[in-house]
Amino acid sequence: MLFLIELLDSVRSFIATGGDVLYIVAFALFLMWLLMIERYWFLGGVYPKIRDGIIGNWDARADTTSWYAHRIREQWISEATELLERNLITIKTLVAMCPLIGLLGTVTGMIGVFETMAQQGTGNPRLMAAGISQATIPTMAGMVAALSGVFFSSRLEAKIKLAKAKLVDSLPHH
Amino acid sequence: MKNVINFVLAAAVATATLATTAQANDLDALLKDVKANRISQASIDKKREAEFLSERADKQALLNKAKAQLKAEQDRNKRLTKEYADNEITLAQKEQELDNAKGTLGEMFGVSRSAAADAYGMISASIVSAQYPNRGEELNRMANATEIPALEDLEELWIALQTEMTESGKVEAFDVEVVNLDGVKSTENVTRIGNFNLVYNQGYLTYNDELGQVQPLAKQPAGYISGTASGFSGESSGYHALYVDPSRGAILALETRKRTIMEFYHQGKEVGYLITVLLVIGLLIFLERMLVLSSMSAKIKAQTKDLSNPNENNPLGRLLAVYQENKSADAETLELKLDEAILRETPKVERGINLIKMFAAIAPLMGLLGTVIGMILTFQTITLYGTGDPKLMAGNISLALVTTALGLIAALPLILVHSIVAGKAKSVLHKLDEQSAGLIAAIAEKESK
Repeated sequence: MLFLIELLDSVRSFIATGGDVLYIVAFALFLMWLLMIERYWFLGGVYPKIRDGIIGNWDARADTTSWYAHRIREQWISEATELLERNLITIKTLVAMCPLIGLLGTVTGMIGVFETMAQQGTGNPRLMAAGISQATIPTMAGMVAALSGVFFSSRLEAKIKLAKAKLVDSLPHH
Repeated sequence: MKNVINFVLAAAVATATLATTAQANDLDALLKDVKANRISQASIDKKREAEFLSERADKQALLNKAKAQLKAEQDRNKRLTKEYADNEITLAQKEQELDNAKGTLGEMFGVSRSAAADAYGMISASIVSAQYPNRGEELNRMANATEIPALEDLEELWIALQTEMTESGKVEAFDVEVVNLDGVKSTENVTRIGNFNLVYNQGYLTYNDELGQVQPLAKQPAGYISGTASGFSGESSGYHALYVDPSRGAILALETRKRTIMEFYHQGKEVGYLITVLLVIGLLIFLERMLVLSSMSAKIKAQTKDLSNPNENNPLGRLLAVYQENKSADAETLELKLDEAILRETPKVERGINLIKMFAAIAPLMGLLGTVIGMILTFQTITLYGTGDPKLMAGNISLALVTTALGLIAALPLILVHSIVAGKAKSVLHKLDEQSAGLIAAIAEKESK
């Protein structure tokens, strides 16, 4: 419990030095991981049942070679693909957005630095330090957030591609 | 001719003779005059000489008198100098006597004077003086006094300090004249929090000790801060949260120099406004697309459940209608017809989506443009005024940074909404492109059975 309180405290001081932009980074990171966990859960828990249902239906069909059968097969694959690829584009967008949010933090931090310079002059570098830490920390946080997403989102994409290919292979023309 | 000349000559000779006779008479008279005058001149000179001689005697008497006066004054000077020197000695003796008589009281004089001066500085600048004006005059007199303070004066100092101390611990409401920023005076109900802050129903006030006036801040701090102040003065009982400036106004004075978000926004100037326009148009397209695509997919979903009655109000219905019209055609012709119909539907689904993407790409570029313009202006300032004063450069630098920030702020939501709309459009297109044929095939199969 004490460990958690210490952790919360360090997070709080981190956000205090990094500025409000960190909240946006945190929101993007949270959304990204929420969507990714949902995808992993779907791939591991929900999708196999859907896949087995489709394969069962296909195997039960008498006609699997006519034009109609081809179109129906395409429809089923397309429906399954749509389920598999849901939110994938949003996940990839969020990964791409994280460094941009970090950049936004850099710019707002620099605005803070120049605001201090305009008011107090350049005499005291300590006054500018707050703005500088607000410029650098969100950049770092954005990078870290993007990096944490890059690996898993590309893994996810590969997995989905594989699942789709396997489904296509499991619906043979008898 | 000769006659004429002779005549003229004769005339000239005659005239000269006449003139000589007249002049001779005049000269005689003049000689007589001069002689007469010489006699009278001599008599006048004699008279003047006599006058001068008599005056010389008078002046001598005056000189003697003045010399006597000088002597008298010199004597007086000598006497007074001696008297002055004697007095100096007496004064020194008396001062010595006074010092001896004062003893340790002299030290108290200095202490009370400096204490009075300190208290005067503190009390006249304190906001308690807004409630109880003119407290400083007595102290000021004491601080500048040249004599030992009387007991009443010391008591006055004591009371002034005690009042300040007691009042600094109180929260009190009172009516006072407030001089607004436009110079108009109005009486307001003001709440004093110790000796830290003055608040009224529109925010924080400052006390100008030079003019003895209560004035509103030149600019109230951010809304969430001044809001507590105006809320506080409206309450009459209980506990209330309030932002208090423990530095007695210094932090509030700094706050007035802070720029608000709107001021920052307007520093982006034309580039910033253009970026805003891009963001607004992009979001409007997003809204329009969301409405159209949502209703489209809802209608397609409804149509999927009722395949036998194609409804012309949705793309899937129109595709089904194409099938109904070409039921008798062979599979290949039907596919061609369906492809044609899908090609007709695609632009309606995809319209505007690339525009959002383009805006999302343009917004940071516009920010970059603003940055470059700002830097150009900065360097122009440097060329004109040198780098001595960073404050001169700060305005243009903030143009550069604010536009960059605005570009990013506009781009981030546009990228996000583009991905949402693109996902939605892709799903609708999948339905039309890949799944409609399957649906039609299923119907055909059912009907052929």
